[in-house]
Amino acid sequence: MLIPLLQASPWALFIGRFHPVLVHLPIGFLLIAALIEIGRRTGKISVSESTVVFVLFWSAVSATFACIAGYLLSLGGGYDEDLLGAHMWKGIGVAVFAWVAWLVKSDRLAGKLSFGKAVYLPAFAVAVVLTMTAGHDGGSLTHGDGYLTQYTPEPFRSLAGMDPIEEKAKEIKPITDIQQAVVYKDIVQPILEARCTQCHNASKKKGDLRMDELALLMKGGENGPAFVAGKGAESDMIKRCLLDESDDNHMPPKGKPQLSTEQIALLSWWIDQGAPAEKKVSELTVPDQLKPALASLGGGPAAGGSATGGSAGNAKQKESAIATLKVTPAKEADIQALRKAGLIVNTLSQDQNLLEVSAVNAPKFSDKDIALLLPVAEQVTWLKLGSTQITDNGLKEIAKLKNLTKLHLEHTGVTDQGIAQIKGLPHLEYLNIIDTKIGDAGLKNIVALKGLRSIYVWQSAVTDSAVAQTARQTPGLQIVNGFSEAEVAQFLKAGDSTATKPVAASKK
Amino acid sequence: MEKLLKELQHAELHRQTRRHFLQSAGFGLGALGLGSLLGSCGSSKAGEVAGASESLAGSGIPQFAPKAKRVIYIHMAGAPSQLELFDYKPELVKYHGKDCPAEFLEGKKFAFIQGVPKMLGPQGKFAQYGQSGAWLSDYLPYLQTVADEITFLKAMHTDQFNHAPAQLLLHTGSPRLGRPSLGAWAVYGLGSENRNLPGFIVLASGGRQPDAGKSVYGSGFLPSVYQGVQCRTGGDPVLYVTDPNGMNRNIRKKTIDAINEINRQTYEEVQDPEILTRISQYEMAFRMQMSVPEVMDVAKEPQFILDMYGVKAGEGSFGMNCLLARKLIENDVRFVQLFDWGWDGHGTNATDNVEGGLRSKCQISDKPIAALIKDLKMRGLLEETLVVFGAEFGRTPMQENRNGVVMPYMGRDHHLEAYTMWMAGGGVKRGYSHGETDELGYYGAKDRVHVHDLQATILHLMGFDHEKFTYPFQGRNFRLTDTEGKVVKQVIA
Repeated sequence: MLIPLLQASPWALFIGRFHPVLVHLPIGFLLIAALIEIGRRTGKISVSESTVVFVLFWSAVSATFACIAGYLLSLGGGYDEDLLGAHMWKGIGVAVFAWVAWLVKSDRLAGKLSFGKAVYLPAFAVAVVLTMTAGHDGGSLTHGDGYLTQYTPEPFRSLAGMDPIEEKAKEIKPITDIQQAVVYKDIVQPILEARCTQCHNASKKKGDLRMDELALLMKGGENGPAFVAGKGAESDMIKRCLLDESDDNHMPPKGKPQLSTEQIALLSWWIDQGAPAEKKVSELTVPDQLKPALASLGGGPAAGGSATGGSAGNAKQKESAIATLKVTPAKEADIQALRKAGLIVNTLSQDQNLLEVSAVNAPKFSDKDIALLLPVAEQVTWLKLGSTQITDNGLKEIAKLKNLTKLHLEHTGVTDQGIAQIKGLPHLEYLNIIDTKIGDAGLKNIVALKGLRSIYVWQSAVTDSAVAQTARQTPGLQIVNGFSEAEVAQFLKAGDSTATKPVAASKK
Repeated sequence: MEKLLKELQHAELHRQTRRHFLQSAGFGLGALGLGSLLGSCGSSKAGEVAGASESLAGSGIPQFAPKAKRVIYIHMAGAPSQLELFDYKPELVKYHGKDCPAEFLEGKKFAFIQGVPKMLGPQGKFAQYGQSGAWLSDYLPYLQTVADEITFLKAMHTDQFNHAPAQLLLHTGSPRLGRPSLGAWAVYGLGSENRNLPGFIVLASGGRQPDAGKSVYGSGFLPSVYQGVQCRTGGDPVLYVTDPNGMNRNIRKKTIDAINEINRQTYEEVQDPEILTRISQYEMAFRMQMSVPEVMDVAKEPQFILDMYGVKAGEGSFGMNCLLARKLIENDVRFVQLFDWGWDGHGTNATDNVEGGLRSKCQISDKPIAALIKDLKMRGLLEETLVVFGAEFGRTPMQENRNGVVMPYMGRDHHLEAYTMWMAGGGVKRGYSHGETDELGYYGAKDRVHVHDLQATILHLMGFDHEKFTYPFQGRNFRLTDTEGKVVKQVIA
């Protein structure tokens, strides 16, 4: 009966997947046994030795089951062999030493073994230490090497001699000039890194496939090569992406972040073009259908000063925080109080309980009315205070609206001091400071906000050079200024000549 | 029968709520108007007017957070030719002057084409623009500058080939009269924000109203507070809204109060909810006396803005309507509908054709549309305002041969199988093109979008599931998309 189990059968894998569940039992049991033992020996607690032995017994039992499940899981393959071996032997060690420690204290053997007493503590200690190291190896197998300490902060980072934190390229950075982009390095690799290499890397190698280097990707895995150069549609990696998500062979696996249609098209196109390692976009043929997908990689901020200039298409933005925020409903009385003050209060959607508050009908709204917002501080996510009498003092209170995603402050008296107050808003995505006194210092403060996506600064004290600088330094943030006279003049010229000016083709 | 009984019950509830509300409205009639017309006063802005029945309670709250809070819908009545403006068909050039293939004609009916017409090659010069490489013709030199803000729908299709029914289908979801328009649904669903302005404003240009008349912005079976209010583009924006000579605002106020009091008493007797609409319209009109001239006054706009739109203060035009649309949106009006008449390029005369005639229509409209997009963007309005551009249908790849005679000018007949619309801002992708037509631009070949799909998508962007956003009338729940429509997820950013 055991034989089929020990091969990579569905049963084996089914049980194997319980390894991460079971494995926490011996860890917990052993540590608690050790704690009790220490407490007992130092006289802090009074428990009988049998308590410890009882817990030890279950540590040994659960460690044994965890080992079996772990072995079955490893049959599925895809793990770094060395690390797996170390993890396995340490795990087995935990079970063995736990059994030893238990045996020498158990009723049957306790009296018979003269060396029992000498063995007990060392065996126990070894089991505990092995638990920790085996646990760490297990973590590395699952999450990848270095996962635990990846974000070690300074100064410990330099003390430990680690490299500075490397931002994982989870979201693909916009490309400034698509025509000059190297297809593999600038387009394909970032997609693979964002969606594939988490499992197909040096330490994890699922399906014996590594996708972190071009040569290894070409080599393929246990199911053969990942792609056939020149034939995107027949390539395994493309076919798997296109399979229905519920299909077992679909990649990335169900529940993991999926490739967008554009990304699949880009990968497929690169393979169609022979999967070149060095070629630039301009050196390859680009079919019309692919152009939007290519253009979508460009999505940077609008170029300084211009409302629309430079901003190309949109790199798929990450979903707004609005989609995931969920709060408890605001009290009806608090909402009514706001309405009484002339504010519009609308529920944003049916089940999230977020509120939109607008002072469009309350131009007299001022700092002293801000207190009305505090009872619904958690719920307000869109706040429109444009053309009201609010000042810097009011912003101090607005900083408490933690779930704010959209803030309209246009045509108000707020200044740099005020805007500095709200630089802690974690979800703020949209900020309108048109026609305010906010200048470059305030801008600098506010663009540090991680979630910020768009900021409108027309007629404020923000300078053109600060706009340009911000646009350069903060990709992903759209900073929009109004028109300069020159831009209006240029816009008006667009209709002067009837000759067509194909921008896309002439751009270098 | 059960449904009818339920509706009766709803109507009953409806009245009681209304009476109750009226009686408790101790703070004057102004609040009454507000309560029914505007979302700003009650949590159940729609429910307030439509009654407190349970099935409606939720309709005022979007199913999901809206991406488009407001809409500017630009309708080119008469239907411009997509083949001259947006849908580049190099293959059609080769077929220019050749007989139309039989498979395009078998079993088909056209508004005017008879027998076997000739194919008509594109009249515009096409090129790609922006980083997105959008194809546009030289008819639209200004739109090229904002190509990267736009999502094109290249394979739109509809069911109707005559102007009025096609316009009704597009705006109300049915080719027959009696349904609420998209703008009415939007205000019914999301309410109105600025208490001094109607939530749904209509501006028309081109010298004529759309063929389908006021029904394209009517409220159908929804309470008539939701209908579009048409404002004039030049002169007084709303006729008779200013005080006549010798009558000051106080007298006007007293008059309106007196009229409303009589209306209120009548309502107590006959319980017709339309009387409430009337009361609130009086209230609104009174407030509009102050607010509308202010909002509609472009004299305070800086010269460069006027230049961008190509307008002069005091002169009504399509460009002026675009500028007014921006000003209305800036003042939180929910839905602004623009109509421009004169795009019906059959080729019958010097203005109705797809060569010079269409070019001159584009010269009038292209700059202000591009200016509108840029203007909305620099004010931080574009990302929450959906701009929709399109017409009731498209035009044939064949040259029109009305009565079997070749037209004096290049013209195309009405075409329902494939045409182009576009959207910008309000949660749609930037620099994207959805759908393709076949090589001659006759049928949609990929990712076709029916007008019902477009309606579903616009409602989705405004936060509503078009299948759940309903209004009970005559025993069943009605929705904008009737029994059809699929949200075009691909165009949503």
